Amino acid sequence: MTFSIIARCPHTGRLGLGIATFSIASGGRCEGILAGVGICKTQAFINRGNDLLALQLLEQGHSPTHVMQMLEANDPEHAYRQIAILDREGNAVAHTGSGTRPWSGHKIGDGYVAFGNVLAGPQVVEAIAAGFLKKPDDPLEFRLLAALEGGRNSGGQVGGSGHLPERSAAIRVDSDPDYPDIDVRVDLHADAIVELRRVLEEFKLYEGFYRDRGRDPSTAITQDQFVSQLNAKRAPLSSRA
Amino acid sequence: MTYTILGRCARTGRLGIGIATFSITVGRYCRGVKAMTGVTISQAFANERNNKLALRLLSQGFAAPSVLDHLLKNDRFFEYRQIGVIDRDGTAVAYSGPRTRGYSGHVIGDNYVAFGNGLVGRKVAEAIAAGFLAKPDADLEERLLMGMEAGRDAGGQGTAEAHKPERSAALLVYSRHPYPDIDLRVDLNDTAVEELRRVYGEYKPYEAYYLERGRNPRCALPQEQFMANLSSRAA
Repeated sequence: MTFSIIARCPHTGRLGLGIATFSIASGGRCEGILAGVGICKTQAFINRGNDLLALQLLEQGHSPTHVMQMLEANDPEHAYRQIAILDREGNAVAHTGSGTRPWSGHKIGDGYVAFGNVLAGPQVVEAIAAGFLKKPDDPLEFRLLAALEGGRNSGGQVGGSGHLPERSAAIRVDSDPDYPDIDVRVDLHADAIVELRRVLEEFKLYEGFYRDRGRDPSTAITQDQFVSQLNAKRAPLSSRA
Repeated sequence: MTYTILGRCARTGRLGIGIATFSITVGRYCRGVKAMTGVTISQAFANERNNKLALRLLSQGFAAPSVLDHLLKNDRFFEYRQIGVIDRDGTAVAYSGPRTRGYSGHVIGDNYVAFGNGLVGRKVAEAIAAGFLAKPDADLEERLLMGMEAGRDAGGQGTAEAHKPERSAALLVYSRHPYPDIDLRVDLNDTAVEELRRVYGEYKPYEAYYLERGRNPRCALPQEQFMANLSSRAA
């Protein structure tokens, strides 16, 4: 019970991952992304070793297809995994094991994989892809968010007892191997994708401030001053209501 | 304005971070743990490359004091940084630059660094250390949380007149795997330490279930069934 997208921005080469699921703290199981190398995300019944192993194999120069073959050979329970791999050029491969819970499947497109399990049906991965493709010139993080929102709006996860809410969600975007560009998470919330949008939009307001004060602290204003300036900019909007 | 506990469990060698701050999405800045290798955080005016550089130096075999020395020599703005490092032997070091803001300082001991900046006073760092040391036999994640909660209860960030809320917090623990045992976050909340305790309390019963269903999927219960069992046990 999870729906996800991994993708490469064709303009910038940035790599990103978006995930939403009924399980708690899913963002804590998303270490398989490395700028300039690729992405691997294993879900359904997770083999925790897979994603970092796959990154090392990609870094050694293996293709996504070959990496997937090696993951299969390394794992007696490969049939229970759902795995998507993307390299730095946007080449993609995916595996939805026969032992994953229905409906489960994936859609591979140009520079992305939309995939999930315990979903309402194939329309969910189609909607994830459509959400991602809707505004191709947006920053990757917002394209990933639109993809998750598309998946949610088309029915999201459905288990044995009916619809399952998104309780956790995360977006990661990387362009540098040392630190993420975007790393926002919601670990436990009744409506995690709505909350993720709130967190991402707020983070985007701070993104440049946080970056610049670390790179040149000698000219940095205080966060108090920054927050005051933010609030002053927001005030006219809220008083309009 | 941040307060943090870096800790190593002397019994198990597990390594972890507990952090709380007024800044949002602080978990983004916490990629400073490597299993069986060491733990580090750069904060205040954080140099975004420091954590990875420190982990690479620790991996190469440098002890914590040398790592810290290298980080300072590598950085023309070192006076603005606050840095803690613990190596795999539990040797702990810290630096609180003279240009970090507000009360800024650290308390270190074997296997821990309790530190922060923009704090109401030294008592916060001391309380974090005391919270961490209060139950040495507890799991590292619990000890880190207790450290953060003690820091909050001692006044946390700001001044006696103007308290600054914790808007984000994170808890990370690694043992022997390259991926974390515990990786929990609160990115934007009015009382992030309380919310982190809530998330941790909810997550803990699932921890073993999530691991086991991955290792042994043939016998795994559906999550809906697992939750039904959880609530019937609670009732």
